Amino acid sequence: MIIGNSAAGVKAAETLRGLDPAAAITMVSDEPESAYSRCLLPDFLAGRQTSDSLRIRPADFYARHRIDFLAGRCVLKVDPRSARVVLEDGQTIPYDRLLIATGARSVTPPVPGLAGPRVTGLRTLADARRILELAPKARRVLVIGAGFVGLEVAYALYNRGLEVTVVEKMPQILPGQFDATAAAILRRDMQAEGMRVILGAGVKEVAEPSVFRRFFDRTGRVVFLDNGDRLKADLIIVAAGIRPNVGIVEGTGVAVKRGIVVDDFLQATLPGIYAAGDVVETRDLVTGRVGLTPIWPNAVTQGKVAAWNMAGRPRPYTGSVGMQNALEFREVPSIAMGVTQGGEGLEVVAEERPHESVYRKLVLRGNVLVGMILVGDITGAGVMAALIRRQADVGKYRDDILQGRFGYGKLLAGIGKAG
Amino acid sequence: MINVAACNGCLTCALACAAAHSPSRDIVGAMADHTPPRIFIQAVRERAVPVTCRHCEEPACVEACMTGAMQKDPVSGLVSNEGHEQKCVGCWMCIMACPYGAVTAHPTERIAVKCDGCPHLDQPACVSACPNGALSWEEPDRFAARKGRRTAAALLEERAG
Repeated sequence: MIIGNSAAGVKAAETLRGLDPAAAITMVSDEPESAYSRCLLPDFLAGRQTSDSLRIRPADFYARHRIDFLAGRCVLKVDPRSARVVLEDGQTIPYDRLLIATGARSVTPPVPGLAGPRVTGLRTLADARRILELAPKARRVLVIGAGFVGLEVAYALYNRGLEVTVVEKMPQILPGQFDATAAAILRRDMQAEGMRVILGAGVKEVAEPSVFRRFFDRTGRVVFLDNGDRLKADLIIVAAGIRPNVGIVEGTGVAVKRGIVVDDFLQATLPGIYAAGDVVETRDLVTGRVGLTPIWPNAVTQGKVAAWNMAGRPRPYTGSVGMQNALEFREVPSIAMGVTQGGEGLEVVAEERPHESVYRKLVLRGNVLVGMILVGDITGAGVMAALIRRQADVGKYRDDILQGRFGYGKLLAGIGKAG
Repeated sequence: MINVAACNGCLTCALACAAAHSPSRDIVGAMADHTPPRIFIQAVRERAVPVTCRHCEEPACVEACMTGAMQKDPVSGLVSNEGHEQKCVGCWMCIMACPYGAVTAHPTERIAVKCDGCPHLDQPACVSACPNGALSWEEPDRFAARKGRRTAAALLEERAG
């Protein structure tokens, strides 16, 4: 039994079917659609994708893998004592092994007035459809939060011809991923395009338009910022972070901290129950800290590993790097991974060519590469990423890495020589 | 398989690769339409090392792909982001995931480019083109059998010698 139908759930179902041709597999999802790519929702908003092209698997995926797919059905709770999942419509479904891959939802900060039909996050296809419905009637859009989702939505709606303003509490855009230098390059790109970015400011209050303005069909709402600014918005997109969907295991004895707590085999604190994806907490390979690692590739890998363990073939989850992101707005491809800000005991090497919008930064702890930022020129990213993931001793190649002369070939030759 | 010792860095493989993946199917066309090669010769301490996709058993690029375009063919085992219902959008997650640096960004289009194993040919163009025997392409069983025979022959010779 798999609850959830996205990156982790789909990979788990597919892997389970491969490992066990006979098992009965049930998937349940509160969304009615076949599995689609959440990461592509901004492209859907921009009109570059259709709801069909968002699908991550062919339409016959569930039939071909003999999966009983309960689409558009909400799970009320998990009952570990009877080993059953209770749906909101009253149906109960027994399980031998359960995977919780319920993902996360976007959080709306507690700001007075920040509610109503013209305020939404972008997490589901339904959210995206709502935004598309509202967009033609809107002129000004306010995006709260300049993380990945916020900026992607900003670009998408800007490309639809809307006036876009992004408000971010921190003093830079992409505060969770990039450093100030990289963020400045990307912000320049945004502003050159014509978007407005307000940094270091939060939203204090959202007020309804006055009766007078409404009379003239001016429905835009007034947004007060905590720096004293005031702006108007017909549509507000909240991209201020996510929270794992753990409600269905509350009170069951499944331990939850920020997300569901699992062991090295992705098993929750009750036997037979596993968790994968945005809902789970795992140890970060680089920082060593336990936390959420809510990105697509990690969810897929966790889904795969959970499936092996559910099929009775023990396989440890070797951990992943929580922070790894690639993006490309306009023409500047960028990648960030691991520790991207300097700090105590860290050595930073950076190369900046502002006129070409190129910035490359590597963060080392002793002889171990722990993070990187590549903006404008992303060659060799995969090899660097592998070194970060493996925590490899790069002492021998330090100079090469710092001078940008490092590829997989170097490793091969090094190994050849050692042998 | 790549025999690093046999490679002299002539780049014939890269040219043949670009030609095979150009709509024109020849090297002049490939240069004209900017078809990038999918095999790379890395210069390492004055030595040439060919690097390309390994078509891994559990490919990191497939797990990283958020559109579903990157797939491993269950029959041929080839890993490719082309020719499927799902399309590559150039998010570059695969580039970041591949530990061999075998996936690259297309120079002009927003699409990731990698070795597709030349499914339209009997064997990959780079392998056919390599004049030094540095590249080979065969089923694991056949490779093992060939290597086994060579080892056996060497053992026999050792004994005779």
